[in-house]
Amino acid sequence: MTPGERFTVAEAPAVTPPPAPARRPDRGTRTQLPSSPWLFLAPGLLIVAAFSLYPFLSTVAHSFTDARTLTAGQFVGGANYRELIHDAMFWTGLRNSLLYVLGVVPLLVMLPLLLAMLVQRRLPGITFFRAAFYTPVVASVVVVGLIWVWLLDDRGLINALLEGLGFGKVGFLSDPWLLLLSAMAVTVWKGLGYYMIIYLAALANVPRELHEACAVDGAGAVRRFLTVTVPAVRSTMVLVAALSSVAAFKVFSEVYLMAGPTGGPGGEDTTLVMLVQQVGTGLSGRVGYASALSVVVFVLTLGLMLLVLRANRKEDA
Amino acid sequence: MRISRRRAAATTAALVTSALALTACGSSGGAGGSDSASGKVEGRVTFQTWNLKANFKKYFEGVIADFENKYPDAEVRWVDQPAEGYPEKLSADAAGGTLPDVVNVSPDLAYPLAKAGLALDLEKTAGKYRGEYLDGAWESHRMPGMTGVYAFPWYLNTGPMFYSKELFTKAGLDPERPPTSYDQLFKDAVTMARKSDRKIAMLAGTPSIEDFGRYGVRLMNARGTEFTFNEPKGVELLKHYKELYTAGALDSQALTAQAESAGRKFQQQSVAMNPGSALDLENFKKEAPGLYRHIGITDAVNNTGKANMYVQGLMVNAQSKVKPAAVAFAHFVTGKKNQMAFAKKVTIFPSTKGSLDDPYFTKEDGTDATRVRVASAKSLKTAVNYTPVLLSDQMKTVLRNAVAKAVQGKQSPRAALDGAVAECNRLLKTA
Repeated sequence: MTPGERFTVAEAPAVTPPPAPARRPDRGTRTQLPSSPWLFLAPGLLIVAAFSLYPFLSTVAHSFTDARTLTAGQFVGGANYRELIHDAMFWTGLRNSLLYVLGVVPLLVMLPLLLAMLVQRRLPGITFFRAAFYTPVVASVVVVGLIWVWLLDDRGLINALLEGLGFGKVGFLSDPWLLLLSAMAVTVWKGLGYYMIIYLAALANVPRELHEACAVDGAGAVRRFLTVTVPAVRSTMVLVAALSSVAAFKVFSEVYLMAGPTGGPGGEDTTLVMLVQQVGTGLSGRVGYASALSVVVFVLTLGLMLLVLRANRKEDA
Repeated sequence: MRISRRRAAATTAALVTSALALTACGSSGGAGGSDSASGKVEGRVTFQTWNLKANFKKYFEGVIADFENKYPDAEVRWVDQPAEGYPEKLSADAAGGTLPDVVNVSPDLAYPLAKAGLALDLEKTAGKYRGEYLDGAWESHRMPGMTGVYAFPWYLNTGPMFYSKELFTKAGLDPERPPTSYDQLFKDAVTMARKSDRKIAMLAGTPSIEDFGRYGVRLMNARGTEFTFNEPKGVELLKHYKELYTAGALDSQALTAQAESAGRKFQQQSVAMNPGSALDLENFKKEAPGLYRHIGITDAVNNTGKANMYVQGLMVNAQSKVKPAAVAFAHFVTGKKNQMAFAKKVTIFPSTKGSLDDPYFTKEDGTDATRVRVASAKSLKTAVNYTPVLLSDQMKTVLRNAVAKAVQGKQSPRAALDGAVAECNRLLKTA
C-alpha cells in the first residue's frame, strides 16, 4: 500500500487465524514458565510489601486503636478521627501545610524553568553556575536549615544589613508568619536546582527550529517563551507541580529547624507532619492518634496529587 | 482488640516509610523472665550511656576493666548514644526488644519504661543497697502509682546562673550584686532592656516546668493525679514574663529558643543571664574568652529555698538475660568509689551518702570552678527535682505553647494555663 491510500473494511487484511497448538517441546528444549515474570518481580514486590504496603496497612489499623509507644492498643473505633476534628493543632497544621503548598509550588514551577533557560545557554563558565545552583540540592537539609537560621537571626547577617541600610530589625525567626515565609523561602532555595535539572532535560527536547520560526515571524523573547517553550515543557511543569506539591504538603525539616520542635511561637507554624512527629514519638508517644493523623495526611496528599493530574488532563482535552 | 507486639513495632516503619512521620513506636510491655537478680554474676552485659563517650572514654573503660577483674565470668559491652534523639532511641530499642541490660536514664525517661514493665524494680531485687544512696536520690526513681524504685541513682547536678558583669555595669546595675529573688530579677531585667535601648535582654528563654517549680508553683496535686500549675502563683509568673517580653527584657526569639540557642546568645552577649552548669565554664574559656573575663556566677533564683536537682540513674532491663550481672554492674558503676572518681573528672555530684561531705565538695581554693562546685554541692543537699516524672514530651510542648501565647498576649495567662492544665490532665488520663 502506497502512502495516501486508505483502508476500507473490504480491503482490510484478514484476521490471521490463531496458530495451531505448539508441539510438545522435545526433551532438553527450554520452556518459559508462566510464572517466570513473577519470579523476577518477587524481590521488588517483597520489599514493597514489607516496607511500604504492610506498614501502610498497619498504620491504618493502628489509627483505630489507642496504642502508645510502649503499650499495646485497644480498638477504639473512630475515636482518634473524632478527636482530630476537635484538635485545634490539627487545623493549625492543616492550614500551614496548605499555605506551604500555595506559597511554594507556583515558585517551584516557574523559577527553576527560568533558571534552566538561563543556564541552558552555552556560555563560558556556565557549568560552574549549573553546579552552583545545584549545590543546595545535595547539601544536607540540616546544614541548610542551620545556615539560614544564622542568617535570619536577630543578630544575623541579613538583619545586620537591614540595620546598616537604616531599616529596623525584622523578626524573621520570632514572628509566626515571617517564620513560615522564611521556611518557604528556604524550601524554594533548596529545591530550585533539583527542578532546574528536570527542566534542562525537557528544554533539550524543544526543537530549535520552532524558536527560529517564531523569531522569523517577529515574536519577541516573551512571546517565544509563552508560545513555544511553555507548551513544549507543559507536561514537565505538571510533573514538577505534582512533585513539589506533595513535598510541600509533607514539609518537616525546614520548619522544624527554623521554628523549633514546638513549631514556632505557640505552635503556630506547626505543619501536619510536624504534628505527627510531636504526637507520635518519644517514650509516651500516642501511636494510635499519630497513625490517624498520618492516614489523613496520606488521603490529603493523594487528593492533591489527583487534583494536579486532573487539571492536566482537562488542559489536554 | 489487642494489638500484638510485632504489629505495634511495625507502625514505626509505617510512619517512617510512608514519609508521614518520624516516629518510633513500640511494643506492649510485660517483663520477661523472673525478677530475681540473685545468682552468679556472669554473662555479657550491654551498658548504654547518654553522650558520655566523647569526653569520658578512659574513665568508663577503667570502670569496666575493674568490674571484669572483680567478676571474671562477666563481660561488659559499652555503647554510647548521642544526646540528640535519645528518647527516640530508647523507644525503638524498647519496641524492638533490644533494650540494653543497663541503661542511663533520667526519672522521666524511666517512668514509661517502668510502666511498660521494662525496668527492674530495684527496691525488690536490690533493696539491700538502698542505704548507700542519699534518700532523696533513691526516691527520685520511685514512680507515681507504682510500687518500687526503677533505677540506681547515679550522678546529680544543679545549675548556677551565669551573668555578664560587663553588661550589668553598662546597664547601671551592680555587677557584684546579681538578682537573688524573682522580684529583683524582673526589676533588673526591665532596667537592662531600657538602658540598652532593648538591645540587651536579661533572659533568653521562657519559663519551663522547673521555673514554675522554683517560683513556688504547685505543679501536681498530692496524689500525683492532676497537674495544678494553673494556680494563681503560676498565673503571676506568666504575667511577669509577659511584662518582660513587652519591655524587651526577654529575647525576641525566646519563644522558639532551645537551650543551645539561648546559650549561644549568652556567649554572643546579647543576653545577660543564662542558666548552666560548672561544665560551661570551660566552654566559655575556650569559645567566648571575652565573656569569660567578665563572667559572674550566682545561684539560680528561687522562691522555695530549694534548688533544682537534675538526676541521672542506671536502669536495669527487666527482660535482661543476665540480670544478676546487670544489677551488679549498675551497682558497681553507681557505687561510692566510682561516682567519686567520676565527679573528679567532671563537675557532677555523687548520689552516694557522705560523698558530698568530702573536702573536694566543701573547700574552696579561690578559683571560680571550685566556688561553683562547693556552692552547688551545698545546694544539692536540699535540692529537689522539680520536673514531674509524669510530664511527657507532648505535655512539655503543650505547656511551652501556652506560655508563648500568654507572653505574646494572644491569650491571658490565666486562660493559657487553664488550657494547658486541662490538656495535660487529659493526656495524663489517656496515658
